[in-house]
Amino acid sequence: MSNKIHHLVQTMFPPDGSGLKPYEWMVNPTRQQQWIDNQGIFLWLAFFFSEIGAGLYFVSLFYEFKAGLILGWLITLILGGAIHILYLGNPLRAWRMIMKPKTSELSRGIWIIGVFAVMGFLQIISGSSFNVVFNIIMGILCLLIISHGFATMNVIRALPAWSSTMVLPLSVISGVWVGYQLLQFMFVVSKPAEIASGMEVWAEVFFFAYVLCIILYAWGTYHSSEIGKESIIMQGTGELKRISLIGVGGLGVALPLILTLIMWGGDTNAFWIFLRLASVFAGDLAVRYVIMKSAVYKPLLTRQ
Amino acid sequence: MTYKTDEIWEDKWVNTTCGVCYCGCGAKVRVVNGVPVKIEGIKESTMGGANAGLCGKGTAGLMYYHDPNRIKKPLLRTNPEKGIGVDPKWKEIEWDEALDIIATRMKKIMEDDPNKILFTNQTMRASDGPHNHPYFYAQAFGVKNNGNFIIGGGSLHCGNACHMLGGLIHGAWSIAPDWRYTKYVLKWGSSKGTGSGHSAMTNARLRADAVRRGIKEIVFDPMGNFAGGKATEWVAILPGTDTAVGLAIANYIVNIRGEMDEIYLKAKTNFPYLIKDDGTYMRHVESKKPLIFDSREGKVKEYDDKSLAFEDCALDGEYEYEGEKVRPCFVPFKEHLKQYTIEWAADVSTVPAAKILEVAKGWLDNAQIGSTITLEGKTYPYRPVSSVTFRGSQGHSNGIHQVAAIDLMSQLVGAEDVPGGTLGWPAIRRAYPGGNYEQTCTVGTDGVIVPSVFYSHDPWPVHAPSYPATNMGCVDLWTHCTLSHIPYVEEMEYIHEKLGMKSKPEMIFGISANFVISNSDWATAVKNFKDCFVVQLDLWVNETDQAIGDIILPDVSYLEKDCWSSEIDAFFFSGSPSHEDWYVHMQQPVAKPVGESRFFMDVYIDIANRVGVLDKFNAKLNSYYGVQDPELQIKPGEVLTWKQIGERFLKWVYGKDADKVQKQGYATWNKAIDDVYWRWNIDTRCPVYMEYLIHDKRGMKKIFDEVGFDLWMDWDQYTPLPTWFWPESHKDLDNEFDLIAFSYRDILHTNNTTFQNPYIDEVSKMCPYTFTITLNTTMAKQRGLKDGDIIWIENKYGVKENGIVKTMEAQSPKVVGIAGQGGLWADGRPIAKGKGANFCKLLPAKFRYFDPVAGNMETAVAVKIYKD
Amino acid sequence: MPRWGMVIDVKRCIACWGCTIACKEEHFLPPGVFFNRVLIGETGKFPSSSKLIYPILCNHCSDAACVEACPTGATYVREDGIVAIDDTKCVGCRACLVSCPYQQRTYYDQKVKDKEYFPGQGKTEMELIGEKLYPFKLGTVIKCNFCSERIEDGLKKGLTPGKDEDASPACVNICPVNARVFGDLDDPNSEINRMIMEKKGKQLRKEFGTEPAVYYID
Repeated sequence: MSNKIHHLVQTMFPPDGSGLKPYEWMVNPTRQQQWIDNQGIFLWLAFFFSEIGAGLYFVSLFYEFKAGLILGWLITLILGGAIHILYLGNPLRAWRMIMKPKTSELSRGIWIIGVFAVMGFLQIISGSSFNVVFNIIMGILCLLIISHGFATMNVIRALPAWSSTMVLPLSVISGVWVGYQLLQFMFVVSKPAEIASGMEVWAEVFFFAYVLCIILYAWGTYHSSEIGKESIIMQGTGELKRISLIGVGGLGVALPLILTLIMWGGDTNAFWIFLRLASVFAGDLAVRYVIMKSAVYKPLLTRQ
Repeated sequence: MTYKTDEIWEDKWVNTTCGVCYCGCGAKVRVVNGVPVKIEGIKESTMGGANAGLCGKGTAGLMYYHDPNRIKKPLLRTNPEKGIGVDPKWKEIEWDEALDIIATRMKKIMEDDPNKILFTNQTMRASDGPHNHPYFYAQAFGVKNNGNFIIGGGSLHCGNACHMLGGLIHGAWSIAPDWRYTKYVLKWGSSKGTGSGHSAMTNARLRADAVRRGIKEIVFDPMGNFAGGKATEWVAILPGTDTAVGLAIANYIVNIRGEMDEIYLKAKTNFPYLIKDDGTYMRHVESKKPLIFDSREGKVKEYDDKSLAFEDCALDGEYEYEGEKVRPCFVPFKEHLKQYTIEWAADVSTVPAAKILEVAKGWLDNAQIGSTITLEGKTYPYRPVSSVTFRGSQGHSNGIHQVAAIDLMSQLVGAEDVPGGTLGWPAIRRAYPGGNYEQTCTVGTDGVIVPSVFYSHDPWPVHAPSYPATNMGCVDLWTHCTLSHIPYVEEMEYIHEKLGMKSKPEMIFGISANFVISNSDWATAVKNFKDCFVVQLDLWVNETDQAIGDIILPDVSYLEKDCWSSEIDAFFFSGSPSHEDWYVHMQQPVAKPVGESRFFMDVYIDIANRVGVLDKFNAKLNSYYGVQDPELQIKPGEVLTWKQIGERFLKWVYGKDADKVQKQGYATWNKAIDDVYWRWNIDTRCPVYMEYLIHDKRGMKKIFDEVGFDLWMDWDQYTPLPTWFWPESHKDLDNEFDLIAFSYRDILHTNNTTFQNPYIDEVSKMCPYTFTITLNTTMAKQRGLKDGDIIWIENKYGVKENGIVKTMEAQSPKVVGIAGQGGLWADGRPIAKGKGANFCKLLPAKFRYFDPVAGNMETAVAVKIYKD
Repeated sequence: MPRWGMVIDVKRCIACWGCTIACKEEHFLPPGVFFNRVLIGETGKFPSSSKLIYPILCNHCSDAACVEACPTGATYVREDGIVAIDDTKCVGCRACLVSCPYQQRTYYDQKVKDKEYFPGQGKTEMELIGEKLYPFKLGTVIKCNFCSERIEDGLKKGLTPGKDEDASPACVNICPVNARVFGDLDDPNSEINRMIMEKKGKQLRKEFGTEPAVYYID
């Protein structure tokens, strides 16, 4: 390759990994970059952590497990919240988002996190932590937080891959599933074996629901619109192909499936559960990554 | 997001002239705290876009001033070796030293032969007027003809044949549709109104109004991009085959429908002129004037005989004069056209026969032959059809016939220089009320118009070919080349030797030219020019400077230029073809010169003074502007700056309003309707039958035979009848080299200088075609190519260029398209470096690839393409 | 109160990019930032394919997706219909940026600010004066403001936006082919309303329900 052409290639195909030729921007279906590329990667992590934290908190309510509440609360606020604020251009102004709960999904989410923070703190420090009313309120708050990230994405009409119907159910179930895995792992290392083993029935349910949601998401989005189709195609081709195959297919679905079958009927042990947790963790990160990365805008330049 | 107005201590707009292409639109520049920050058009101006409109590249012109890569001091080459890829090892020197080296060298050459110095101007960089001055500057040094040599011009891709026939038919440098009244426009390789070209934004504005009004615009072009992409209909055609379609339509008009504007043909063309068997005019025994047969009186008369009514000029029949058989030249013309059937044209051009027929019908039906229109109380024939051509279609080895065939359609229906038809512009200029500078055309021999405003080689009257050649361009022999092609051909030395050219150039004194990479084969350009001592005034060190420059002097950009004359004498690039006020801009400096840069006119004066020819130059200036007032003339011994000269000359040009004009930066005055359709009112005849070519051929051939000139040349093209000839690029096609590469002008770019502008660079990347090589989508697929692939394009002589593929549907499957002059490598222009692909280098610089008549380069080339 | 809007005549537009570059100069935009762009593509198959050219800018939607997404109210629709950003309230969450179906917003951070038109050669006088005269706040989102400062200044001087250069957006002024007309959408007699009616003006991506104030005629 001559020097000249090397220069030209650099110019026309920016090495920022976006794969976007400048002259195809909004002329062809154009990938969203803001919430995944560069700094946007923070948001991916923030959404993940706040949701699995809330998921852990949520399932811990059913098992009245305080350590789970504390860890869930911490993950949501410290990992989820802090990373979230780091992503902001003006972190010091973050308080403004609380001032306008009516304006947007995003500020409603912030409100919910705020309420969750306060109420959760109270629940954790109070003597009678697992009071029914408290549980119900916290349960609802957890579900709202779990779905917060995807709900924020879901309201964006401009990105059909995010606004498709299965996005919310998928996000709720993924939060619960990963949270449940965390809890199961906490139990298996700290409690009698039969407790973790007894949890396996629900683990099976959550897992298959999760897989079903992924399939329904992909199928539904593919058939929702031309652009939705574009997103799903993008997930299965190009640079996302590897992540979809290994991350989502391998770590999110296949490996947990194998492990679930191994442990079928409650035949659990700490190693398998840890392995499944790690796999599910990575798999769910991959699911979110692929969904965020493959969202495309409808081109403006088509036959109007 | 608000303006911090409290930070502003100076905020002004300065009126000037845009200098980013040669169109010279009115422009005003906003200067805040001494920094130029914005450019717009001038609302009151008819030169340029609508209201305060200006095109993107004009708007981006600010960067010419802000570019840190501008040369700040004169540079001297210290490495005696020259060539592409050789480091010149520049050394900064003082102006005085630089000018001294130049003047000393010039004096020494002049003792031997002043013709060995080539002076050249540029349209490469900008309408950085004054355009014409290098010509008479050269004369002041004793240079005879300067070889019609514009190394810095739009290169030979520009309009040799167009200008030649524009001059002969319209008395004008260029042509445009009469947008205001036309209904049906055919464009052939021309972007008038949609992109580049003379008066680009003036035409764009007029065209936009016309398309809104609902005109039909049909574009014949290998690609549907700037012109075709905006047309009512784009018709894909192979490069260089427009003649075929044009002649087929002419045949349809004359021989199939037989509906012509006969009165026009009798009154305004040479069709009734009587010719002998050998095709030459039968001339009056005494007056030597061509003759016409008066059908009413049954008598042969001189063409301008007062007793001859137009309607009585015979177009057919056979007569006798002085015992010799004669006939109107329309007779063989008509017969000649019969061979050009629509089916034949479809085969040659790839335009479907049905489409040609449809256009031919549309043309004739819209022509409204016989109708008239009354404008401002004056009645004119009304022919709302216009057929225009420019760079694209004429840039072939058959260029002269391309232009003649396209023009022929208009001639046959009388749609020339009348409302709705094709207008030649600008051809005349009226003086400012109370001022003195006026240019109008005269009628020359045989009733042919003599243009008053023309660049370089005058088209009429045609001088006889003469031996020996006295200049590098050998225009003594090539009587029709507006700009000579000889300096670029590989066989230059052979041609010079055979034609007795003794003044082998030793020095070039140029302005911002980049002819090494912007014309044809780079190696030939370097070979032909590297032995010269090359001095250039430039903004940056460009490719030519880096390859062969010896001294580079820092020039000012148009934003720093104080030039009162920039548009006075360059209005043939910029005026409005329509019925709009006359308008002339000046260039006023909006900022101080960058570094030690100096305006080239002042450098001209300084050098002329050092060499001792300033008085001669000043005398030429006096006569060029026609200054008759002794008070205002430059007197012998006077050394004035360009600004000081302007203070005097503007008084001559604008009379008592000179101060006012100078203050506002422009002048505007009324243009009468008769000045738009001026040609209708004077008694001239278009030499549609190109009889003069017979004489040229005889004169040239005689000399060539005598000197034993044995390079192949297509002498057949010297025929008075517009005729089909295959362009050289098509002759080169075979199984391996199976595609024709062509280039086109991108609206964002003026040759290659704009590549260095970061604003333009930025948006160029957002254009799919500007920095890429375009291929038809299906054709690319068949060859296993897709968007983003890197390909090589290679010509038959092993010259190759690479670039990135962009496929498009709107391109003929048999061609490869490249925009402009990319593929740049000069270290002095880092933004430009490496952008786009260079088309020019693929053009073979061999003698046979040039139009034998007008000297056009064949700007298409047979190539093969393959993946990197 | 008027509601400002624009009509873009696609038939007139020749894709010269004047709007894009004039806008950059008007707002001293750094490299890579555009409030105005031109989209170029094509439709159809050879030989009857045709070129598509669409100049785009912020649509100043009356039901704007960006406003809906903004968590702080920093992005809002002004009384005159202009979608504005209060950079003292923007937290830089970029929800607006992601939400805009027209992708007309840019996040302004140090990386964007540091870009030079002549890379590695320092900022030019023009870039430096721009940062002083027309500063953007780091960590906020910026976009086309319909040149609201020009409109406001013009109105103060008694001028008419869309008619007088000093009261009209820079992209309208620069257009050499009169492809942009600016005016009041609430005035039934305005030129733009007449054009929208006569030529059946279309909004871009109407299906998103954003109600753009920019119309296209063909």
